[in-house]
Amino acid sequence: MDSVAAAVGVTDMTTSRKRPERSVSATLAAATCALLGTTAAAPVDAREEPKWDFNTSLLYYGEDDDRVQDASFKSMVRRLFADDRSLSLGLTVDALTGATPSGAIRQDGVQTFTRPSGSSAYSVPAGELPLDDTFRDTRVAITAGWQQPAGEKGLINIGLSASSEYDYLHTGLNASYAHDFNNRNTTVSAGFAFASDSIEPVGGAPIPLTNMLNVGDTSNRLGDQDKDVFDVVLGVSQVISKNLLVQANYSLSQSDGYLNNPYKVLSLVDGVTGDTLPWIPGPEGGPSGQFLFESRPDERTQHSIYTQAKYYVNGKVLDASYRFMTDDWEIDSHTLDLRYRWPLGASSYLEPHLRYYTQSEAEFYRLSIDSSAAMPQFASSDYRLGNFDAITAGLKFGWKTRNDHDMSLRVEWYTQSGTVPGEQLIGSQASRDNYPDLNALIVQFSYRFSR
Amino acid sequence: MTIFLLLVCAGCSSMGVQPWEREILAREDMQLTTDPLEAATDDHIYFSKEASSGGRGFGGGGCGCN
Repeated sequence: MDSVAAAVGVTDMTTSRKRPERSVSATLAAATCALLGTTAAAPVDAREEPKWDFNTSLLYYGEDDDRVQDASFKSMVRRLFADDRSLSLGLTVDALTGATPSGAIRQDGVQTFTRPSGSSAYSVPAGELPLDDTFRDTRVAITAGWQQPAGEKGLINIGLSASSEYDYLHTGLNASYAHDFNNRNTTVSAGFAFASDSIEPVGGAPIPLTNMLNVGDTSNRLGDQDKDVFDVVLGVSQVISKNLLVQANYSLSQSDGYLNNPYKVLSLVDGVTGDTLPWIPGPEGGPSGQFLFESRPDERTQHSIYTQAKYYVNGKVLDASYRFMTDDWEIDSHTLDLRYRWPLGASSYLEPHLRYYTQSEAEFYRLSIDSSAAMPQFASSDYRLGNFDAITAGLKFGWKTRNDHDMSLRVEWYTQSGTVPGEQLIGSQASRDNYPDLNALIVQFSYRFSR
Repeated sequence: MTIFLLLVCAGCSSMGVQPWEREILAREDMQLTTDPLEAATDDHIYFSKEASSGGRGFGGGGCGCN
């Protein structure tokens, strides 16, 4: 009500000076505009003064045990034109280094592996989890988006995306339409995205379920591969009351093509002892055991339901969301995410964040391949397809600078802990720590301003 | 049945607020996505480390990290 009173007062002064006889109607008009959340002058200003919105962030993501480290720069620029049209351009640069689990199991002796390039070999100490330390990449991604109203109550978004890595190229496009109903209290939206990606693995894509070969032998490598992903998202958001807004989305994602990770292997083990079968390397060097490249289906269909609520109470805002995902690889997952924005004075806030995630393993996830049983058609020991829980706990501090720029710093811990189903453990495997638990630190600084 | 549907529809249209009651809903911290860059960062991290992605929007991805 303060803003209404102020708007009325200001208009009163200006109109009484110029046209005293119209002050009452002008005041009423201004009061009406203020009630509607607009001012008589604002639309004219919006037409004449296009605005820019700059959003930049620096991210450090680091896993312990010398696993993946990522330093990332992200920037998004939005140019606002007249009539609520806008153009957004985004740039992301990631510098990745570190080691990642190869998929092979721990052994009591030293293990040797041929590098993905096939040009040399590396060793893993006795009893340690095999990590492939050749992970090093720079990723550059760009996005472009255009938004414009369609009639009084519609909004159209179209976008393009592309990204490039040493071994991966992505191109994509997306479009969505949102329509307001019911006094703008209900918004219904529909969108789709299509991505066409090509994969050019270091050393070539291996033929699934063939052995890791000696140094220099690339006879089981194929050429470049590709995959297509088609996404559909249908959503509805509803204003419930002055301080409660809810949203629900249904998403369908269909992937076709090469869905393997070309660098992941499984140990081929003895059906009684559970130990990796030996491989006798040639004089040029090679693996110490039999490691088979993974094999995933070439199709995947995922369905997810996402719900979110924003609730304001006494200056604080609770943001709660829940997602259920299920797919035809028989993975089910649940994600619960809670954020609570707590103002500290007029220009800063603290925001604790808690996220819980749990997933069941893919139908073809297995710790190793039993050499005494029939060879499965599909197999992967990628820990990301296993049965695990993850927790993210973090705190964000945000503040406004004197010139009204927004800055924030968040620090979060992400931890994964998984288990291999008991029936998959063979012989000595039961006494080993088989799942590569993960602990990561996330630090992000963001800076945003408009002009 | 028709009466039931009419009642449900009437319930939907009576939900919500009048245009002059949107002061809180218009706040920056009441938007469904408050920080697009942070949301994009999280989507990318979790896409790389978990078997699920998307939900809020499109599935993310476009990288060889999975």
